[in-house]
Parts: sequence; C-alpha cells; structure tokens
Amino acid sequence: MEFKNFSLNISQTKVSRFIDELAAGKFMATVCRRCGRKYYPPQADCTRCMESDMEWEEIPTEGKIVTFTKIHVPPEHFGIPQPLMPFSSVIFEPCPIGLIEVEGGLKIMGWIPKMDIKKIKVGMKMKASSFTLPNGKLTIVLEPI
Amino acid sequence: MRRVAIVGIGHGKFGVRSDASLRELAFEAVKACLDDAGITLNEVDSMVTGIAGDEFALSLQPSAQVHDYIGFYPKPNFRVEGACATGSMALRTGYMNIASGLADVVLVVGVEKMTEVPTPVATEIMGKAGDSIWEYPFGTTFPGYYAMIANAHMAEYGTTEEQLAMVAVKNHYYGSLNPYAHMQKVIDLQKALTSFTVAYPLKLFDCSLITDGAAAVMIASEERAKAISKKPVWIVGTGLATDTLRLGDRTSLTSIPAAREAARIAYKMAGVGPSDIDVATVHDCFTIAEIVAYEDLGFCEKGEGGKLIEAKETYLGGRIPVNVDGGLKSKGHPIGATGVSMAVEITKQLRGEAGERQVKGAEIGLAHNVGGTGQVVAVHIFRRE
Repeated sequence: MEFKNFSLNISQTKVSRFIDELAAGKFMATVCRRCGRKYYPPQADCTRCMESDMEWEEIPTEGKIVTFTKIHVPPEHFGIPQPLMPFSSVIFEPCPIGLIEVEGGLKIMGWIPKMDIKKIKVGMKMKASSFTLPNGKLTIVLEPI
Repeated sequence: MRRVAIVGIGHGKFGVRSDASLRELAFEAVKACLDDAGITLNEVDSMVTGIAGDEFALSLQPSAQVHDYIGFYPKPNFRVEGACATGSMALRTGYMNIASGLADVVLVVGVEKMTEVPTPVATEIMGKAGDSIWEYPFGTTFPGYYAMIANAHMAEYGTTEEQLAMVAVKNHYYGSLNPYAHMQKVIDLQKALTSFTVAYPLKLFDCSLITDGAAAVMIASEERAKAISKKPVWIVGTGLATDTLRLGDRTSLTSIPAAREAARIAYKMAGVGPSDIDVATVHDCFTIAEIVAYEDLGFCEKGEGGKLIEAKETYLGGRIPVNVDGGLKSKGHPIGATGVSMAVEITKQLRGEAGERQVKGAEIGLAHNVGGTGQVVAVHIFRRE
C-alpha cells in the first residue's frame, strides 16, 4: 500500500511497512537492536545511537487517553465545500481526536468517532485500531474500553 | 563576548494589510527603525530577516525581496526561520553577529504577510508546523495542538475556561490602547466565553489573529550603541532551547519544556530571576499558552497560572504585568514579526515610552517567544542602565 494513503502528504519513506502492518490491524514500532529504544511512530534510524540497525515489533494498543480535542475549524484539506444550492448550508460536525499512552510510554494518535467530546475525560481507557475509510485511506481510531 | 544593545525600534501597523505586500510591510518597520536610531543604512553592517513561511510569502526566497526593497546590497543578509519564534531567533542571530565581533551594527527585521492566502489555507500551513507526516493525517491545526495542551492542563490542575477567557479580556484591553494592534477592541468575559469553538475547549477569543505586519530593531556593539543612542537597552540574556517535533513525545503536556530550558539559560546569563522581571511579553498565541508561560517562566508555581490571571496579577499594577501591548491575542501574530515586535515593546517599556501602558520605572524586561507547539523557544532578557 502506498504510504500516502496514511500520511496524506508524502509517499516516500523507509518505514512504509508501517501501513502494510496497520492495514492488517497491527501497530508496529521500530526497536533499536543496539540500545533497545522503541519508536512509535516508527523511525528507520535510532536517535540515541545514531545507528540504523532497527527491527519491527508489535506494540500494545490499549492505554489511557492523555489529551484530546475536537477541531471545528479544519485545515483546507479536511474542509467541506460550500453547497451548490443558494441560501443553504452544510452543517459540519467534526470528529474528536486524542492521544493515548500505551505500555512503555508510547503515544498513539487517533480519531475518536464514537464519543461526545463532553464525555471524553483524561485518563479514560481506550483501544486503538486501524480503520479503512470509504475513500480507501487508512487511519487510526480510538474507542473506549 | 561583546555586549549588545538595542539602539532603534520600528513597528508597522499590524492587521489585515490588504494595502501592502511583504516587502512594503518590512519597509515601514525598517524606515521607522532607522528614524528612531537616527542613522542611515550606510552605518549598518549586516541584516537579519525573520520570515517564517515560504508558503505564506508564495516565494522561495522571501527575505531577498525585503533585502532588495530596502537596497541593502551588497551587504550580508541572513534569513532565519523558526515558525512563530522566528523573530526572536532573528534577534539572537543578530546578537551573535555583534557579540562575535563580526559586525558592529545589525538591522533585525521580522515580517510576515499571512492574509495573501485564504484562511483555510493559512490554517493548513500553520497545522503543518506540527509533524506533517504523523500528526497532520488527524486534521491537526494550530488551535488543535494548543487545545490538547489546554485539556491536559485543565484535567491536571483544574484550570477553567473562565480563566482562559480572562487572559483574552486582559490582552484585548491592552490591545485597545496600542495603536499598532490588529484588533483594538475591548471584550468582556461573556463575549469571550460565548464565542464559537475553534478547537475544543478553545473558542474564537482564545485564539490569536492571522495578521500581516512587520517590526524591526537596530542592535549595536557597546561602543557604537553609546554613540548612537542616549537610551540603549541591553540584551543581557538570550536563551534558546528545543524539543520534540510531536506533542506526544514531550515529557509534559501541561508545559512547554523548551520554554523552561530557554528561561533557565536566559535567567542565568542575565544573573536575574523571575521576581526581578518588571514587565514581560509572552507568547499568547492561545490563552492557554499565556497561562502555561506564567508557569514556565517562574512567575507562579506549576498549575497556578489560572489563579494568577484570576487575581489580575498580570495587569499593570499587578505583581508582573504581562502582554500590556495586547499580546499576540489582540496585537496580532504575523509569525515572523512577533518576536521582533516583543523586543520593540520591551524596549519602549524600558525607555519609559509606552504611554498609558507604561509599567512605572521598569528596568528589566523579558520576551518569551514559542515556535510551533514548542519545538523551539527563545527567551530574551533586556535591561536599561
């Protein structure tokens, strides 16, 4: 799968395997074979060792939400076009996003499609999973558990 | 290192400047700065231009436009970029030029023309100041990042939406007294609290403005400063620190760790502490950012920032007046110009030229300028003699 299906911006990277694994439902980090430091999102190179001897490792997907928001004024890419009918409007109901911390301190960002923003509280337990959108793009969703 | 002082300041009108291009905005500030310093460009050795976004400038080398338009060739010009901290990084670059002995007089210009692109495009450009590969796919925007800091701060310390709104009320009040401010409009708490949500919990009045504008300072070595200016303002501390690209990789979501580090370095260099600061400009790109800045700069304990504004301690007459020029919130935030504008304001305050916004007898001032979501932060401390 093309990396751009996830990143939306770029297609060329050394860690494109990430999205093939994500498509299969797996969240993969890279781990430095020398020092053991884990990277999520994955990196092809270890910042600590300045070496590039990495292996892939699946990470847990359950954790606690550390923060969240709901963006009502989206960037152009995520915006909605104006309706063609005069004197009419489209009502935009955005989806919250959040950041969960899983075992080992790694943080996973994702959409929270099934929750009212007012009911989301820091510390809630959530699980990350991959999700294929109707347009074929691959993304990550977070759901309370 | 040689001592460095500000010997001239210039500030253009901030706002939606549909009447002017990038280079024309820069010219206004440069002209005012030369007039204030009382020198000509012939006496200037080098120039530093802070412009954050090629995407905003619709150009690959926007600083060359500015350099050309003021006719500074063949002397050197450095372009500096650090998102919203660009202006302070330009000041620091100018400082390094003089401290090293490479130049005696340096012109530092910060400018941004943000409204040439439509607002949704500007929102997109700013959103990509985070991680454009790993965060942007979740529709992140600049308000979105700070909203995540706000939600974490509220959960951890009980900071309230009312306290956030109080920052907006204060900064709009002072912006109404600043003729260079983008929005010279007083607002009340109710107006701030009932404005529409931009990124939960941040509302319209929690957010700074998309603004065009320019500011400039002339800086000089000790010998030249004393010859040029009767009231030189010395740069006695400069701290620059950096942090992770992604919010999720930070050691804290309730502070800007790089700001704490930059402040520590600047305080140490200046030989002063938070209680010595008479007046401060802090990076209130969002109201939560001002509250976090109070804490990161040591103006109050961690988690007490909301209470500091509630007690009005950051108003004129309070313990530490903050952003009495209106801040980014109401003065506007042309990202490349902001850090230079902060230096202009502190210089005015230390020269005693801030009019009804004057902090009486101010001797030591501080400017805190955050780039992106805290990937780079510059803190400068200024002092008059």
